[in-house]
Amino acid sequence: MLARWKGQILAAPVTLWLLAAFAAPLAVVVLLSLHEYADPFGPLLLPPSLAQFQLVLGDGFYVNVLVETLLLGAGVTLLSAILGFPLALWLVRVPSKWRALAFMVILIPLLTNVVVRSLGVVLLLAPDGLINGVLGLVGIGPFNGMLYNHVAVAIALAQVFMPFIVLALYDVLQGTSPRVYEAATSLGASPTMAFWTVRFPLAFPGLRAGIIVVFLMATTAYVSAKLLGGGRVWTTGMLVWQEAISNLNSPTASALALLMTFASLAFAALVGWGFAKLMPWQSLKPRGPTLTLPVWAMRLLDLVAPTLSRLLVACALGLLILPLILVCIQSVNNVPQGTSAAWKGFTLRWYELVFTQGGYTDSFLVSVQLALASTAFALAISLPAAFALTRFRFPGISALSMFWTLPLSLPGVAIGIGMLRLLQLFYTVPTFVGLMALHVVLVIPFSISLLVASVQQLDHAQEEAAQSLGANGWRRFVLIVVPGLMPGLVASGIMAFLMSFGEVTVTSFLTNARTTTLPVRIYAEATFVLEPTVYAVSASMMLITLLSLIVMNRVFSIDRLHVR
Amino acid sequence: MSMNRRTFGKLVLGAGVLAPFHFVRPAIAQPAPGDELVVGIWGGVQERIVREYVEKPLVEKYGCTVSYVLGGTGERRARAYAERGRPSFDVLYLNIFESRQAVADGVTQAPTDAVPQFENLYDMAKLGGYGVALNPVTIAYKGSKASTPITSWKDIWKDEWKGRIAWPTYPGAEGTAGLLMTSLAWGGDEKNLDIAFQKIQELKPFAALQTSADQAFQMFDQDIADLTIEFGSLSRKQSDTVNSDIVVADPTEGLCPAMNVACITEGARNQVLAEEWINLHLSEACMQAYMREAYYSPTVKNVAIPDDFKDKLLTPEQIGRMPAFDWEYVAQQQTAWSSRFNREIAG
Repeated sequence: MLARWKGQILAAPVTLWLLAAFAAPLAVVVLLSLHEYADPFGPLLLPPSLAQFQLVLGDGFYVNVLVETLLLGAGVTLLSAILGFPLALWLVRVPSKWRALAFMVILIPLLTNVVVRSLGVVLLLAPDGLINGVLGLVGIGPFNGMLYNHVAVAIALAQVFMPFIVLALYDVLQGTSPRVYEAATSLGASPTMAFWTVRFPLAFPGLRAGIIVVFLMATTAYVSAKLLGGGRVWTTGMLVWQEAISNLNSPTASALALLMTFASLAFAALVGWGFAKLMPWQSLKPRGPTLTLPVWAMRLLDLVAPTLSRLLVACALGLLILPLILVCIQSVNNVPQGTSAAWKGFTLRWYELVFTQGGYTDSFLVSVQLALASTAFALAISLPAAFALTRFRFPGISALSMFWTLPLSLPGVAIGIGMLRLLQLFYTVPTFVGLMALHVVLVIPFSISLLVASVQQLDHAQEEAAQSLGANGWRRFVLIVVPGLMPGLVASGIMAFLMSFGEVTVTSFLTNARTTTLPVRIYAEATFVLEPTVYAVSASMMLITLLSLIVMNRVFSIDRLHVR
Repeated sequence: MSMNRRTFGKLVLGAGVLAPFHFVRPAIAQPAPGDELVVGIWGGVQERIVREYVEKPLVEKYGCTVSYVLGGTGERRARAYAERGRPSFDVLYLNIFESRQAVADGVTQAPTDAVPQFENLYDMAKLGGYGVALNPVTIAYKGSKASTPITSWKDIWKDEWKGRIAWPTYPGAEGTAGLLMTSLAWGGDEKNLDIAFQKIQELKPFAALQTSADQAFQMFDQDIADLTIEFGSLSRKQSDTVNSDIVVADPTEGLCPAMNVACITEGARNQVLAEEWINLHLSEACMQAYMREAYYSPTVKNVAIPDDFKDKLLTPEQIGRMPAFDWEYVAQQQTAWSSRFNREIAG
């Protein structure tokens, strides 16, 4: 009897959590979007009106921004996939002892403040920046128009979102047995042929998860667009923030956020449908359309692929490493403002400030505690959900999976707007618990996306073999499933931890004196003048992360069993 | 003196109405050791200064604790509005136009002489809360790129700046200053802003639109822009410490007023502590710390300005020359102006 409901039981924890912690602010956003006009002190329940949706959809400016945001999201996703795939392949091939360092390189953008990252892109693309400097050596350029446009924003966003695709792909690529490639090459497939017909299609689950996550994140991002768009780039997130926070016009902001969410979810559904068509073997359906290339293209790719692949890895690593160099240099630069790139002499003053004043240590500890608690909770409820999605079919599972993705597609500012209306309710629980509940909501979509790809890679034969040898369900889970899922769990855990650790948009509305997280503290500083202390914090964070990853790699190997 | 029944009745009625006010001040809870004052403020140097010059003496005097909710003005204001009547903040810091609107909206209290330093505040610092730092907005530009020094807001329209301007986004203190001072310079005012929108459109294309002082100075460093509209204090500090080519203009039309304002929330749980906090913020020690760290000019008249800082801060003449705007009106127009700015200037 219980076995019949197994899928529903596995799906229940995450659904209940989202209903408790996310449905309420979402409902507030929906109700606000149905207000006819803005009144910050008015009641929440009013006769519903579609005036805000008519206003947004009838205004060419708003519609243009919606379309611009979707196109920007698509561009960022494409760029992330093009750079992320070769990087994931590189990560899989890195010798185990160097893997912690390689992971850190990939995670660098997530460890640095958004302003720091943006400055890195400025130094890369500026008229006297790195690219123009290198081109100048061979007599090309300078190109003065590379900054403050859509390309600059797309590069900045790809820099921070590419790791999501890389991690999603890393797990899937590691999960594919090397015997499959050996079989292909033994049958005479060239490297390009083996990649195109074996490695690439088998990576689709990870690619699908990465693409959806990156697209949804790129369409809700606004800080990079604000800093690097130079007023020429508009995103829906920027408009939502402006309407809700600057103009106190929550109804229009809510309508904008919801329209963006609908559009993003439609895209996610489209991507899911497209990949399902490309992966007929997953649903045991007859062979569907296949990716074929003409022979001449294969031969050409055989020639250029090795160089192209190395070039893409170099570009991706360059994009990721540049902030590291900048952060380390700036953390000891004796300048009063953090955004000033001119070298003014060596100092350890910023480290001294970080470790002795200003409550950075307290904020760091709050952030770590919050991120650890949120990660543990998110993984605990996401793993059953991933099994429910991949191994069970029951009515409503598709709708549920869409519901689980919602927090990712709704701009963080919109969740903040919803929570502001629920402040008195929020204050009834300890602030730490309330923040953790929301952080879990925010990281659940990432955890589920990564874990679904990981669960799909599990080898059923191993479980069946264990069962035939008398192992019960619990022993099979501990001895077969968990080790098999370890790369996915580690990747998902790292991502969840970093997402929670870096979250500032929603937290900044709800934090109190005892729960001031490190990103909120940095953000609070950046709203006045950004001091180089932010670099010292980021550099320290990198060191701590590197050490943590080295320890983690020794305690729980992040390789799959067959790789060890 | 005789008194008829009607007069007596009026007196009794009046006394009845006024009687509760007799109890109001004494009824405000006096601070007790362990009371917690909650302050919403920006981080960084601002937090460090108030911790040193305001929190320490306050805690020493009352044995209370002070908690800080750090963040940007926008989030702080949005939260204060959401909590109207049941505030979690006792004191929150806002900008000039937001503070006046907050009083009008019943979110924060109007200033009173319950704060002893109130009587020494400049008049412009007595509206919408207690002005704690004068930080007007002006034109900052690269001296090496100017054929002659800028002396008027109209100089922005000289050909030599075409395509080299980093105009500030709106809303925001700098963006507001850009609109208001353009209007003023070209014959309009805050209630007639059409001229400002027309004139600013003439400046297009901009090198970029800037969203903060940090970003504007970065554009200067990277040779992307040569002129912007920014806080005079931050621009002067940038000039002194990083880029000596930056010149801070003193236009004949005046600098655009901007100010950090400390506000006590309506329904604050620690009224007396909040008033004492603000009084300490307006003390000479705190004001001088702001002068040295951020080049902020004092808002009270009874503060000595160190000799080595006199040329970096506002003179009384400059303060007197700053135009007075109807800030409540400016705040009310924000949604309409930002909609127009997005379409006509930024779009």
